[in-house]
Parts: sequence; C-alpha cells; structure tokens
Amino acid sequence: MLTRSKRQGSARVGAHLVLLVLVALLAVPVAAFGIQNPGVVTDQDSGGAPTRFEFTGVTDPDASIQSMTFTFPEGFDLTKVSHRTTSLQGLTRVPLSATQEIGDRSVKLVFTPSVEPSSSVIFQLYDVVTPIAGGDYQMEVSYEASGQVRTTPPLKFSYATPSRAEALSRYLDQQPWVSQYNQVKFLNLFFKPQLIVVAIPLLFIGWLASIGLVLLAFPLAILWGLLLSFMKMARLRIIKWTAGAFVNVIRGTPLFLQIFIAFIGLRIAGLRASDYVTAVIVLALNSSAYLAEIFRAGIQSINKGQFEAAASLGMTYPQSMINVIIPQTVKRVLPTMTSEFILLFKDTSLLMAIGVFELMMYSNTIVARTGNLTPFVVAGVYYLIVTVPLINIVGRLERRLAISEGAQGAISDKAKKEKEPTLAEGLTRTAGPGGVQAPDNDESRKGQRR
Amino acid sequence: MSGQPIIRIQNLRKSFGDNEVLKDIDFDVEKSEVVVILGPSGSGKSTLLRCINRLEEPTGGHIWFEDTEITDSKTKINEVREHIGMVFQSFNLFPHLTAKGNVMLAQRRVLKRPKDEATRIAVEQLTRVGLGDRVDYYPAQLSGGQQQRVAIARALAMDPHVMLFDEVTSALDPELVRGVLDVMKQLAAAGMTMLVVTHEMGFARDVATRVVFMEGGVIVEEGTPQEVFDTPKSERTKDFLGHIR
Repeated sequence: MLTRSKRQGSARVGAHLVLLVLVALLAVPVAAFGIQNPGVVTDQDSGGAPTRFEFTGVTDPDASIQSMTFTFPEGFDLTKVSHRTTSLQGLTRVPLSATQEIGDRSVKLVFTPSVEPSSSVIFQLYDVVTPIAGGDYQMEVSYEASGQVRTTPPLKFSYATPSRAEALSRYLDQQPWVSQYNQVKFLNLFFKPQLIVVAIPLLFIGWLASIGLVLLAFPLAILWGLLLSFMKMARLRIIKWTAGAFVNVIRGTPLFLQIFIAFIGLRIAGLRASDYVTAVIVLALNSSAYLAEIFRAGIQSINKGQFEAAASLGMTYPQSMINVIIPQTVKRVLPTMTSEFILLFKDTSLLMAIGVFELMMYSNTIVARTGNLTPFVVAGVYYLIVTVPLINIVGRLERRLAISEGAQGAISDKAKKEKEPTLAEGLTRTAGPGGVQAPDNDESRKGQRR
Repeated sequence: MSGQPIIRIQNLRKSFGDNEVLKDIDFDVEKSEVVVILGPSGSGKSTLLRCINRLEEPTGGHIWFEDTEITDSKTKINEVREHIGMVFQSFNLFPHLTAKGNVMLAQRRVLKRPKDEATRIAVEQLTRVGLGDRVDYYPAQLSGGQQQRVAIARALAMDPHVMLFDEVTSALDPELVRGVLDVMKQLAAAGMTMLVVTHEMGFARDVATRVVFMEGGVIVEEGTPQEVFDTPKSERTKDFLGHIR
C-alpha cells in the first residue's frame, strides 16, 4: 500500500525572494513515496551567514509524516538552529507542532501529531550558519512515514563565497559593539554598519552608472540645447514655433512622465534600444529644453553693440556668434549650466522606475531585501560626493561673474553719467519754446566761456 | 572735390515705425574728405551713419560705396563692411579678448590673414593709437579713452577705405577725450576719408573739410567749417551753434 512509485518530472521551485540566486532543482526520477516535489531554498546568496533553509513538498494521500531529518554537509554550524513548520491543506494554513533534535550534522523535526496526508508542507530552519566557501552543496533529507524511513533524493543548493565586504559584514554581525549600536532603532535603520560595508562597493557600480549616464547625456543636451536656442531666435516663424513648442512640452511635463513615455512607447512600437541608450536620449532631450532657455537668455543678454561691432568689421552672423557672442555667453551661463548638470545628475534616479540599473536602483535592491534604509543613506552620500563640489563651483563661478560684470558695469555707469548731460542738453536745445530766449542764453554762455 | 565719390547717397529715407528719422537725404562723400555731421539729438545723424554700413536697414533710397550699391539686396553686405571702419560711442570692444585679440579677430576671420601677420599689424595699429604698451590688457583693465583707441585700431587694422565715427567721445570723461581726438586728427592728416558725428566743435572747426548740419531728418546746411560756423545761412543752424558755444 505504501509502495507506490511515481515517475516524476523535473520540478522547479522558484525563488520567491527578490535577487535570490538560489533555486534548488530537483530532477531525479526516483522510487520514492510519501513526499512529492521536495525542494529546498535558502535566503542568502553567499556563505558564512546565518541562513534560512526552507524545505517544501507535498505529502501523498497515504503518507502521514512523523519526523523529518535534514542532514547537512560537513562544516555547517547547526548550533543556533530554530524552526518553523507549516502545512497547507487546500488553502488553509495549519500550524504544525514539532520538536527539534540537533545532531552534529543533522536536524531532526519530530511532529506530534504527525502531518496529515495530502498536505503541502513548509519546514523552515533558521540560522543555519553556512561555511564561507561557496559552491554547490546538497543535503540529505529522510523522513519517517507510517513507520518506514525513506529518503528524498539529495536536495541541491548553492551559494557564492562572500565578497570582502560581505565577509566584513559577517564579521560585524558577530561584534558585541555592533549589536549594541544596532539596539538604537534610528541608528540601526539608517546607519547599520553591516549594510554600510555591503552597500559601499555595490552602490559604487550604480554610482558609476549614474555618472556615466549624465556624462553621456549632458554633452548631447548642450548641442541640442544650443540648436534649440538658435531655432527659438530664428526669424522664420515655423522654426521658432517648433522649437518653442518642443521646449514648452519638455519643460511643462515631468521628466518622470517623459521617461515612461519613452521607455514604454518604444517597447510598444517594437523599437529595441538598450535601456542605457534610451535613458541617455531621454535625459539629453529633457535637459536640452532647459539649456535652450539658459542659452537663449545668455545670448540675448549680450549687448547688441557686440553684434554691431562684429558686423561692422565684416564678420558674418556665424562668425560673430562663434567668435564674439558665444564665448561671452559661456562665461555668463556657466553657473546656471552647472546647476542644470547637478539637476540632471540627480534626475538619473528617476530611471529606477523603468528598471535602469543606476545608483538608486542598486540601493533599492538592498533595501528591498533587507528592509533597512541604510543603503539609501549610502546612496545619498554617493550623490553628495558629486553634487557638493559642483555646488561650490557654481558659487565660485557666480562670484567671479559678479565681479567681472560688476567691473564692466562700473564703466558703463560712468559712460551713462557722461552721456546723460549731453542728452539733457540735447533736449533743451531742441525744445521749441526755449528758442526765443536762446540768443540770450547763448550770449551769457559765450561770456562765461571766453 | 574731384573724381568719383567714395560714398553716394540718394533719396535716403529711414523710418522707425511712424517716426520718420531720415527724410530724403542726398549726400556725397569724396575720397579723403573729413565730413563732420552736426545736429541736435534725434536729428538723424547717427542713423545716417548707421545706414551707410547697413547696421540700420534704409526704408528707401540708394547708397553706393565705391562701385557697389549697398542698398541692393543682392550685395553681400559683410564684404562691403570690411572696407568701412566704424567706431561706436560705447566702444563695443570684445570683453573676452585682449586689446591685441580685439584687433586681430576680424583680420584673422574675415581677411584670413595669417596669425603672425595679424599680430604684427595689431601691434602696429595699437602703437599708432598710443597703446603699444597695452596690447595684452583686457578692455576691463583699460580706461574709456584707451578702450576707444583700441576700437579705432581695431577698425584701422582692416585697412578701411572710409571710417565712420559715431559720437566716439560722448561716453568719455572730459580728460580722456583729447587722446581720442588726437588720434582722429592724425588719421585725417594721413588722408583717411572720415565721417564724424560729434559734438566736439573744436574738432569740427580744425579738422573737418566739410561740415554738415542736420535737423529733423534733413540736411539743413553744409559747407566748409568757416562757412557753417562763421556765416551760417539757416536760422536753425545759428540757433544750434549758439547753444553749443
């Protein structure tokens, strides 16, 4: 009655935790009865950590499990193991009561009462400390059902050797001062040392990705923005309006929306560009609209006399632009341009929404896995490493500009002062009613001068 | 006055909206003449000057420079402007370039002179206007009078056939005016054709070969300085000169 064999195909137990690398595959056709689809999943992707092992399976209609024994390979520390056992009958969750017996290499769970037949079972073993060295491992699982001891085929699992940062994190796990520090909820939530050391190297890659995105997008934005600014100043109305409409649409809608439209729209249109390429283009287009306004304002702030002087020397419009106007504009718009760069750099974070791997995405994956906000704090520091020096540079550029423009201002003020009297004289000269008295004035003035 | 005039103006009209600034001006300039244009503010004298290199677009009429009709829409105006030097009231030096850089720029870009030639000419012209020791100064480091002389050197470096001066001393402190006028006198003595809008009566009297008095967009009177200053025919000219002195 109990001898019942069943050919079993490959059963895949999917990992249900984000970024869990480990999926145990069981694919061996075997003469087993009692538990179908056995499998094991762990919650850590590298060794040396307290790990949760989760065993799942379905008991046969005629099998009533009395105990389970999990036998680990050499080197697994089982001294701190605790367990949680659950079964599902249909959709109802039935807690199982079990006692654990820990041996050198094995953990035995004894169920009282025994597990009902036809149950989906989930047996979780917490705090199994795995050896540091990564690789493919397998565990043996045996169980006692209706008085007979059976084994499942060996259950495979694997994990990687932890990186230096992870190893350091594991080391910190064991330090009493770290535990004490982590007792403070605020510190633990935002500044957990174990996560800081893990996040720094991992987020570094995301940081480089964000910097790369903005370094590619910004030069494109400058070129496109310059073109737009000239289009906006064009005499031909169609060109002017086209550029104006583009700038208004881009500036009038959130970048977030533009990202969604670009990414989802392109996918629907069947155009397959790499995420990074799409991201660079969206960022560049967005920033170009703001830069276009900055450039236009900058160019139009240049004194008209500069155009006239260049023209009077026989320079063509492009020659005047390139040699006279733009060099002066650059100096004036540099602070605002740098601010725009800072904005664009921060805005790369929005790309997380459509799954581009940049700084924010990297930090969010760790946050999602750990439920701790420390990686966000680390990400914040990474953003600041770029933005704070740039903010300082903007300040310095602005001060320098104020000084040089101020100096010019002083001269033109003087020029105005000099000019005003002549203008005023001119007005009195042309004033009609004064005409009658003019000769008198004339005489008296002559007298004074001579 | 012999030979073909260097500038010929016929029926020139210019309006800004409803405001007619130049009303049917006829006016010739012969080679090597120094013409000083006088007149109250708003009389159209600056506009006349600016029409000659089409910084203002004339509303009607014709202007010839040598054999080229400037007012012809087919004329490449920038090619004509190479030969017409202009100096502005507000200097309009390029603030991002040194004095030398200012004088070199158009030589290099427009005349395509090689760098060493442009440099040599720049230093030469700056020396000519008395700024041989200021070639590497930026405009902000120069006084108004020095800036204006750099602007003159910048125009001269293009080997212009005629020079237009638009109230070039009006923005200067009185003590700086002289240096600029001296440079202009030298130029006149060297035979440069010049059109000068100014309020400097002394300059007009001493240097001008002809004085033109404008008011209300028309030429009221013209003649030698002696004729215009000493025996003005028009009441308006008398009136104006009376106020000035």
